[in-house]
Amino acid sequence: MTGFQQAAAAIYLAAGIAALLGLVLPSPRLTRGAVWALGLGAGVQGAAFATLHELQPVPQLTDLPYAISFMAWIAVISLLILMWRLRLAELTAAVGPLAFLAAFMPSLGILAGSEGSGLPVGGTVPHAHVLLSSAGLGLLGISGLAGIFYLLEHRRLKRKRLGGGGVRLPSLEALDRVNVSALVVGFPLLSLGLITGSAWLYGASGQLWIWSPHAIWTLVGWGIYAGMSLARFAGRQGARQAAAAAVGGFAFLLFAVIGVEVLR
Amino acid sequence: MKVLLLGMSHRSAPVEVREHYAVEGDAFQEALRKLVGHPEIGEAVLISTCNRVEIVVTSQNPSEARLRLENVFRSELGGNAPVPGGGDLEDHLYFHADQNAVSHVFRVASSLDSMVVGEPQILGQMKDAYRASVEAGSCGPILSRLFQRAFATAKRVKNETRVAQRPVSVARVAVELARQIFEELGDKKALMIGAGEMIEAALFALHREGLHSLRVANRTRARAEDLAQRFEASAHGLEDIDGLLKDSDIVLTCIGGSGYVLDVEAVERATRARRNNRPIFLIDIGVPRNVDPAVDNLDSAFLYDIDDLQEIAFANEEERRRESQGAEKIVLEEQERLEGWMVALRAVPTIRHLRARAEAVRQAELERSLTKMDLTDTQLERVEALTRSIVNKLLHRPLARLGAQTDREEGLVILEEARALFGLDDTDAPGSEVDSQLASEDSTEGEGGPSTGPRSGESK
Repeated sequence: MTGFQQAAAAIYLAAGIAALLGLVLPSPRLTRGAVWALGLGAGVQGAAFATLHELQPVPQLTDLPYAISFMAWIAVISLLILMWRLRLAELTAAVGPLAFLAAFMPSLGILAGSEGSGLPVGGTVPHAHVLLSSAGLGLLGISGLAGIFYLLEHRRLKRKRLGGGGVRLPSLEALDRVNVSALVVGFPLLSLGLITGSAWLYGASGQLWIWSPHAIWTLVGWGIYAGMSLARFAGRQGARQAAAAAVGGFAFLLFAVIGVEVLR
Repeated sequence: MKVLLLGMSHRSAPVEVREHYAVEGDAFQEALRKLVGHPEIGEAVLISTCNRVEIVVTSQNPSEARLRLENVFRSELGGNAPVPGGGDLEDHLYFHADQNAVSHVFRVASSLDSMVVGEPQILGQMKDAYRASVEAGSCGPILSRLFQRAFATAKRVKNETRVAQRPVSVARVAVELARQIFEELGDKKALMIGAGEMIEAALFALHREGLHSLRVANRTRARAEDLAQRFEASAHGLEDIDGLLKDSDIVLTCIGGSGYVLDVEAVERATRARRNNRPIFLIDIGVPRNVDPAVDNLDSAFLYDIDDLQEIAFANEEERRRESQGAEKIVLEEQERLEGWMVALRAVPTIRHLRARAEAVRQAELERSLTKMDLTDTQLERVEALTRSIVNKLLHRPLARLGAQTDREEGLVILEEARALFGLDDTDAPGSEVDSQLASEDSTEGEGGPSTGPRSGESK
């Protein structure tokens, strides 16, 4: 764990708190400040990954806490990119604390030394698997988060209790666009992650597939996203169903990556 | 010099009275010029909007100024005509002096005294009124400062409170709701069913938001065409609704007649025809309702009727009222700040008076002593410098203290005490012979300037 990682975690937490206050008070200035802090946190975390090789012993990205931290970094960067075009600053209230937990994970020692499948680490294929899967998960995480916000906002609009000084969330259209954009990039990355995972397994055991809990849960999650992509791009799925599917799919994937390790 | 305000607003007078006394165009400038032509009026600013007519002036003689302002209302603004609806003009007027006048101007600029609290137009109208008075030459340093601080107060209220954030009209609430569903309104298509006043107000609000793909459908096509022409929209008959509904993102209905214009089947057909069941926002402000309430059960349809919109508008209004309490604190802070400046301004004549008295005493004593001494020019210069230095050193602290007063109450007390301690109001005190000379100097400087005579500092 480098000082950079800890600093990034602290900045993410500050960004989350500021965004939360900005949402509740509400204060657009505070919300804007939170977005800048999120960007700063991403910069510091990027520096943490760039200087990872200077640590002794050099940590492996195949270590689960580092993979999760990388996943959060990709998620934050993706969200910041989407924020250029869409009014999504309020999502910082959720992304900030989650990114804090993920960035702080390597120093907590939880799941340290976990290698997921128990396969030998090191080499290009395992790293490609972890990087692609983490990036895919990061993006699908953003999709899931946008899905939660979509469902909340949809419910609020249907219940028609919007007057007074209540919390204001991003528009349904913006949240749906996040869902689609994150799916368009995240799903192929996740698929490539599964393929490289299979290649990693083949290199280690000569098999392309094993019926492990990790593999099964991941496959179910992938299946949800595959179905969702098909329905979405065929033009037959409504935004609310897509949001619910994004939340469900990400819950499966999260369980496949973290839940299975915790229960092991 | 006091700040005075006489006026009428939506709180004190009905619209037929307000419009009778409202003034605009050339008459506005003329009224201002006449106002400052009266000896009891120093500076003047006239505010005339649809909700208020107010005159803000400075004066050293408040009671006479008040009578003058009432007379201006009656003759200059009202043309000596009887008050519409009968009754006395005084019944519709309110008068504020000093801090109350300052507070009132600040509250008006911050839209806390508006019919709809937080509405943004009043600030622009006050800026226009201020500009007009500057152009007419009726606004001097005191009212300039007052209005500049009023604009700054309004800015603080806007930035630091939520008084103006939530919409309170049905049309604006509808636009605000549309913004919570759609990210951009500019690329959306809207369909208006009906061609009445409410539809017109909504068309105006949507057009202003940058929504240009507008369609108007009405039973009487000619009326739809008339309205469509004004907002660059297309006109249709009610028979076109099914086709138009398929690519409409926002639908607003307000049309007479029994039975629903849009039922569940029609809206469901339209949403199914849309890619990924894109959402559709329906606003039904017709009474009786034009859209079947069951439409709201469709996942992609968001239906709001007039009661839903009004409930949101009321809640927003309530929120604005709550927020106005915070705004009142800002008004009070800014009011105290301005009063501090005004007290400092009042100290100027006292400081000048004290300096003049001290100098008169110094010169008189010096002359008396010099007659008994035989000094060379160099020695004379030294004695001059010595006495001047003694006077300056003795006066330095009291004068600095008088000039630095910013707290209104304490400032006025110190001014009073200074005048008493140095006997500035005693006509037989040493140096009092300069008083008449000072008074004549001040009168030639004019009444609008910051120096307002040696005794003005004591007026409360």
